[in-house]
Amino acid sequence: MTTLYFLDAAEFTDVSAVAAAQPGARVERLPGYVAVTSDGPIVVDRRATGVRHAVWYSALAAVGDGRVVQYDKDALKVEPIL
Amino acid sequence: MTSPTAQVREQGADPRGTPGHPVRGINHMAFPTFDPAGTIHFYRDVLGLPLVQTMQVKAWGPEYQRDFVHFFFDIGNADCLAFFYYFGQESYTDENLPPLLDLGRHVALHVDTLEDLDGLQKRIEDAGLKLDMRVMHETVESIYVRELTAADAVDAEVTAQALLDVLASDGEPTLDALWARKAELITSRARAAQGER
Repeated sequence: MTTLYFLDAAEFTDVSAVAAAQPGARVERLPGYVAVTSDGPIVVDRRATGVRHAVWYSALAAVGDGRVVQYDKDALKVEPIL
Repeated sequence: MTSPTAQVREQGADPRGTPGHPVRGINHMAFPTFDPAGTIHFYRDVLGLPLVQTMQVKAWGPEYQRDFVHFFFDIGNADCLAFFYYFGQESYTDENLPPLLDLGRHVALHVDTLEDLDGLQKRIEDAGLKLDMRVMHETVESIYVRELTAADAVDAEVTAQALLDVLASDGEPTLDALWARKAELITSRARAAQGER
């Protein structure tokens, strides 16, 4: 199980929404953050978020129990640490 | 740190500056730091300037770019003094920098009164730091965007703590380590907040 945290700010809403739309993802609002949890890998397609590079590369606030295996112009992919 | 002298205050200069152009001061100035713990200590703890925003950013663009943390201290007027900390970047000092260039490059923060200047001088001295000098110039006496949200302020605090923890740990400071430590801090703060309700 891995959790991605995004800052609960307007500029990151589109990124957290795409992460949350993944099948099996659960969303929790914590003070200041949106937390998206999944039992499997979480993949966020950058083009689906519609955000520009400066926002994209600063969108990920924290990673719980996961390993970032891809974070480039195409996608962010985080796998659970088993 | 600079305070206007009585002479300038009596002249009643318009604090908004001269008319005829739309620029209103400096939104932020940014500098690299190789000692982020020391930077946070000096500006946040010694001078008492709130750390109001941070971003942790995955490297992109040119190949020399590195993962970094960009952090902002409030210096009044909604302006900020900002720093970049690049993970894995070795400290660099230009040994060949001519002394005049070194002396000529500086940032002067404004305070309204000499009492405010005294207060900051005391904070610096109380912290055990040496004040280089205090000088009365002609017009000043000196000792030498974006909308911020509540979430930004919380995140700045969490990021600073996580960065300090990562730097103090035995492991290599990396963006991955920062992300992981932040997750721990966010969940423990959320649990504490739930307990308060």
